[in-house]
Amino acid sequence: MTPLDHLLLLSALTAVFTLAAGNIRSAGWIATLLYAAQGLALVKMWGMGYGPEVADSSISFQLLGQTMHWRFDSLSWFFALITVGAGFFSSWFASGGWADHYRAQGNSLRLFHSALALNVFSMLVLLASGDLLSLFIGWELVSWASFLIMGLASTRAMGYAMRYLTYAIAGAMAILMGIVMVHAQTGSFEFAALAAAVPGMSNGTLWLLLLLFGGGFGVKMALVPVHLWQAKAYAETPGPGAAFLGAISSRMGLFALILVIIQLVGIGRLVGMSIPYTFLDARDLLAWVAVFTMIFPTYIALRQHDARRLLAWHGVGQTGYMLLGVVIMDDLGSAGGLMHVFNYATYQAMLFMSVSAIMYRTGTADLNQLGGLVTRMPLTFIAMLVGIIGLAGLPPMNGFVSKWLIYRSLVAEGMPLLFVGAVIGTLGTILSVYKLIHNSFLGQLRLEHAKVEEAPWSMTLPMLSLAAIVFLTGYFPGVVLDWISALQASVGLPVLAHHLGGVHFAQGGLDMIWINSLLIAGIAIGALIFYSTGRSQRVHQLDNYAGGHFLSADVRYQYSDNFYPGLLHLIGPWYRKSFRWAESALVSLTDALSLAMQGLYRQVQPSIYLLITVVIALSWVNIR
Amino acid sequence: MNNLILLVVLPLITAFLLPVIDRFSTLAARWSGPLVLLITTFIGASAWLQLGTGAVSLELGGFRPPLGIVLYVDQLALLFAIAVSFGTLLLWPYGNRGGLRQQTLTLLLAGSGSGLALSGDLFNIYVFYELVAVVSYGLAVSLRTPAAFAAAIRYLIISGFGAALSLAGIALIYDATGTLNLAQLAQLAPEKLNDLQGLSAFVLLLIGIGVKAELFPVNTWVPEIYATAPKRVSALLAGLVSKLAVVVILRLLVLIFPQPEAHTLLLVLGILGVLTGELAAWRARDLPRVLAYSSIGQLGIVFIAFSVPGEAGVFAGLAMALHHLLIKPALFLLAERWDGSLAGLTGAAKASPLGAALFVLFSLSLLGIPPLPGFWAKLLVLTSLAQMGAALYYTGAVVIMLGMVLEANYLFRIIARMYQKAPSTGTPPGHGRLDLAISSMLGAGLIAAVFLLAPLADRLQGIAAQTVDVNQYIEAVNPVPTRNPI
Repeated sequence: MTPLDHLLLLSALTAVFTLAAGNIRSAGWIATLLYAAQGLALVKMWGMGYGPEVADSSISFQLLGQTMHWRFDSLSWFFALITVGAGFFSSWFASGGWADHYRAQGNSLRLFHSALALNVFSMLVLLASGDLLSLFIGWELVSWASFLIMGLASTRAMGYAMRYLTYAIAGAMAILMGIVMVHAQTGSFEFAALAAAVPGMSNGTLWLLLLLFGGGFGVKMALVPVHLWQAKAYAETPGPGAAFLGAISSRMGLFALILVIIQLVGIGRLVGMSIPYTFLDARDLLAWVAVFTMIFPTYIALRQHDARRLLAWHGVGQTGYMLLGVVIMDDLGSAGGLMHVFNYATYQAMLFMSVSAIMYRTGTADLNQLGGLVTRMPLTFIAMLVGIIGLAGLPPMNGFVSKWLIYRSLVAEGMPLLFVGAVIGTLGTILSVYKLIHNSFLGQLRLEHAKVEEAPWSMTLPMLSLAAIVFLTGYFPGVVLDWISALQASVGLPVLAHHLGGVHFAQGGLDMIWINSLLIAGIAIGALIFYSTGRSQRVHQLDNYAGGHFLSADVRYQYSDNFYPGLLHLIGPWYRKSFRWAESALVSLTDALSLAMQGLYRQVQPSIYLLITVVIALSWVNIR
Repeated sequence: MNNLILLVVLPLITAFLLPVIDRFSTLAARWSGPLVLLITTFIGASAWLQLGTGAVSLELGGFRPPLGIVLYVDQLALLFAIAVSFGTLLLWPYGNRGGLRQQTLTLLLAGSGSGLALSGDLFNIYVFYELVAVVSYGLAVSLRTPAAFAAAIRYLIISGFGAALSLAGIALIYDATGTLNLAQLAQLAPEKLNDLQGLSAFVLLLIGIGVKAELFPVNTWVPEIYATAPKRVSALLAGLVSKLAVVVILRLLVLIFPQPEAHTLLLVLGILGVLTGELAAWRARDLPRVLAYSSIGQLGIVFIAFSVPGEAGVFAGLAMALHHLLIKPALFLLAERWDGSLAGLTGAAKASPLGAALFVLFSLSLLGIPPLPGFWAKLLVLTSLAQMGAALYYTGAVVIMLGMVLEANYLFRIIARMYQKAPSTGTPPGHGRLDLAISSMLGAGLIAAVFLLAPLADRLQGIAAQTVDVNQYIEAVNPVPTRNPI
């Protein structure tokens, strides 16, 4: 039994346990402990976070002369760490009060916990894949596990999950086609065989492979233009499940893309594959897809008034940053993109949890129905505050570091247009996360929420732990950058030289220890002045004036509907819903074709039809 | 080995004696059918063990071909003969459903089906094929509803037309070669049938036998028959009978018509079958029709696989065919109580949790989701298509994948409906105990196959290798060289 066997076995055990005993009251807690044990198994493979270690699994299958095997390297380890971490915190969040509430609504807790465990297990299997065939098996397992957790809550959720399934199967088919083509070229499913065959492939073949694999992996990442499925499906998933999916699930696409396109095909080939009649090459194509993925979904998020959808649309957008960073493929950019995977997982999980906590107490996630909750749920507020600072990419949180690395790399590599695109995306993020926290926690408390209490500890503790991680990895980004440089070395990217506080350059690097200490000192001095003067005075939240008039308590002075009217007036006409139009056109086309085919099978004059068939067939023979 | 003729004769004789036995003892009549099928299954299984990887031909009555009737027994033929016996045993009208008539017809189907699988000459193939056709008309109308009769009439017309075409094809072959013995034809084909007449004969035979094999465009009877017949019968037709016709087409393709044109035609028809079947299933309104259309699609994939010349294509096609042989009957049995509009299935999982779980399992395998056997079969098809490299073969691969996307959508739309909360107005019915038991058994077989994948694949590859070995066929039958054909 190798350490990897232990990990996979523990993960399978978690799935079996939740399936067998998911309904007992303490099941969530035991599952959480099992995730922690998986974390320990990962810690046993700690070496992969710091060097070129590889752990093989002793499981392998021989079939038709092909061997399928599983192994972990630094790339797998980094993603596995996030996966197990996300599973741990989501399961913890789903253990106490939330579980009782969920069950009281008539849902099956066993189904939820086992779906979560299956997700973690299938992702670990995918991350461990050692050849193209095991990659595809893992890929399908992940797709179906996600489908399960997305669809289990309600009929509406199932509708969105079905939409996901259709996209996912189409993507999987593209990948399978790619794998089959590689097999036709090399006679093998091994990664090494593909890597060895790449130099001999023509650009045309490689383009086809790139589009098939990139398209397939892109569906999971919800890249534009196949992004439509994700936000609604994630938003309708039960709270902790959405936290888990949002944190890591679609990152599996990025993992596979790094594995196949960056590690096996390599940057040298990508840059050499130019698109005719343009100045672009394959890498630029990926980069521009990433930038559009950043911009469109983020501005769609701006218009959402369901907090879960707002967050989920951001999830789509943030994938763009990760991909953009990775495809720049220099030491800074790829480190930024990869670090963003970790950072984003930490705060997105936390943000979904905080929204779930609000829903748990108030029963709604509608941003037009909330407000002023900061006085009632201060801990949840802190979690959300930390989360949105991270999401917006501002110091002192870890999101700042990864975005800084990406921007810096874009500038250094001379890609100003992409840089502008990234900035536009970030602007949208800042605007919409402000809308999120303003409409839920700031402003005036609604009358019906006057008696709302803070969420129970089983929910606030995981959120606050995540907040601590977000803050600490922002303070000491070197911890995460250590893992990332091991990863970069293992997939053949240039390795980022870094220290505990960040990176050092001759013309000004980034030292988060210094920046954050300064920031905290500044805030401390401000607080000292504020509290020592004793001039501040507490007023009631309804003690308001507008235009010199006192506002009585029955007039609420919190606007949330039609947020950012000026901005939306300007950019409103840009929302064309073209992608949704294209999607529904495709569905209508299928419907029409389907009707036509049914007509064909229903025809009432079989004899004439058969006669025609034979005449056509025999004339075909004559033409030959 | 010589007793293999019992696989054909015993069910046929019993079928004709059944009314007589019924006179003396109803109980004996009721159980003689299953008993006979059990015996034939055992005979087949013991022959399978004896046969190993060899092939023998049995000359009935000691007359040598071309005069005598020849049964050709290799692994492929025997496998499907056993499948016929065992399949009809599983799908027997137990509990006296449908009375004596059903039992007689089912026994006739078993006998003629085995004959179809084992026959070594075209004339016997034609005879048994007709017998199977006649029996299936009778089975299809066993519910005696107007819709069933209407569907059966159309089936009759199409099938009769097909029979006429195949007879014409056989006549063309006989005209060119002067023999109908497959082994002799295999010897003569390269010089005598490699022309316009040969190709015309193939087209006529393909369309004729394609009727039962659900080949596009002569499969328009499929949805109505499967929807109106008892699901036990649909299971027999979709699972067994279609596969027997597929085996016949495979034999013709390998032994007599290895021309590239024949393969191209099969490929094109297979592609059209997948496209039309899967697209039509997308909007089908009840479960039996969904299964029927999906069956057309699946058989289309089988034909696409067979269009790849050589062992790889046969291997892939056989894997798909056997997989479908296992899955479709089980699905039809589950549909027995689940017919009627799809909307009526809302909440069905509550009433029959095991049935719904099995439905999910079979659907996943039908889609080809790893690690279930359906995935490996599809992978074989796709790799063999990609190996060919030609554009039309790639089109085939793309169409198969397109079909999978559609199939995933319509099957899981149904499953999603099953797992919804049941409506207040009456829940959909649960399953009959027998249907559930048989489909559980098939499901268990499917899961067992996942664990036995490597040995199964090796064995099947051996069968495929034997099937494409034309010389072995010729030598096993060892016909007298024909000096003066006509």
